[in-house]
Amino acid sequence: MQTTEEHLRALMIDGLDGDAAAHAALLRQLVPLLRGFYRRRVRGADDDVEDMVQDTLIAVHTRRATYDRTRAFTAWLYAVARYKMIDHFRRVGRLRPIDDLEDYLVGDEFEASSIAKLDIDDLLKQLPPKQARMIRATRLEGLSVAEAASAEGVGESDVKVSVHRGLKALMTRVQGAIR
Amino acid sequence: MNTDDLIRQLSTDTRPVARNSVGWRLAIGIVAGSIASGLLILASIGVRPDLGAAMQGPSFWVKWGYTLSLSIAALMMTAQLARPDSGRLRGLWALGIPVLLLAAVGLLELARTPSSQWLAMWLGHSWKSCPWLVLSLSAPIFAGLLWSFRRLAPTRLRAAGAAAGLSAGAFAATVYCIHCPEVSAIFVLTWYSLGILLATLIGMLVGPRLLRW
Repeated sequence: MQTTEEHLRALMIDGLDGDAAAHAALLRQLVPLLRGFYRRRVRGADDDVEDMVQDTLIAVHTRRATYDRTRAFTAWLYAVARYKMIDHFRRVGRLRPIDDLEDYLVGDEFEASSIAKLDIDDLLKQLPPKQARMIRATRLEGLSVAEAASAEGVGESDVKVSVHRGLKALMTRVQGAIR
Repeated sequence: MNTDDLIRQLSTDTRPVARNSVGWRLAIGIVAGSIASGLLILASIGVRPDLGAAMQGPSFWVKWGYTLSLSIAALMMTAQLARPDSGRLRGLWALGIPVLLLAAVGLLELARTPSSQWLAMWLGHSWKSCPWLVLSLSAPIFAGLLWSFRRLAPTRLRAAGAAAGLSAGAFAATVYCIHCPEVSAIFVLTWYSLGILLATLIGMLVGPRLLRW
């Protein structure tokens, strides 16, 4: 960690002195660091991650005058990265303020439905993946048999058979668990 | 755009950056804005005719001492908040010193004045216009600071906006001294400070919107 800090800081200072090669090297080496930083914080949205990485690289470049050479470079970098993440979600409007979130969490309903969802997930995991997908599509997501069939690229009878077999298998499993 | 292309494009524009470029940038914005405010005074309400004589006396320097020291303390806050990793603000207490000193001078003046004149001393001739003039004169300076911030990186936008508003207000009050004929310390302490406070408040309100980057 120490070596990364020292190394990046040296590149940054050379870049501030006008060394374009050092500056380019710095920006290239920041890419994996920033990707890691954002991936750890936003799961599953690779487009968002790459957007934020690029926004941060631009900011590191255009706002580099605000780096104080006597201070830690990575602290400065992650302060910029954190700001860019907040700004990104503010723009996309996906972050909800906590007091708003509470409305969603009110009461036992949320807890009960989350637990039910966990149970269903557990059960479906024990089925062959195809049967699980079909049950999910037709019984949980509310697709019609025809829609599920075309989404999966199979025949309608195939969907019906998979759902039927899957539900039957689940039934025996649940009953077995109760006895 | 591809990230590699982006990096290539960015690094073609690697100009050297001076060590204290944050300070320079803020100074340029402040000075340009203050000149604009000074010109605004010349073009509208005019310089007080006895400015030369007033500069010989103490009350002018009390006023200027107050506004100028407040300006410098505010600018120090602004410079800290212009960096992303500003952390805890250092020297926030320095803002209190000019206020306390001026209050002490004000009390001293009150003690030496018969109480029947206190109200006249407090309201002066221009208490109704003074805060508004200070606020109006702070607008060009705030605009100058917005220019400065275009290359800076505040992450606490509300605080940075307030600090920029405070700086703009305090410098505007400094410029306003070339017009204002008032002499008493409690006048300055109340009405100048009110104008500066309004500028701070507006800065705080618009900061999150205007300082985004």
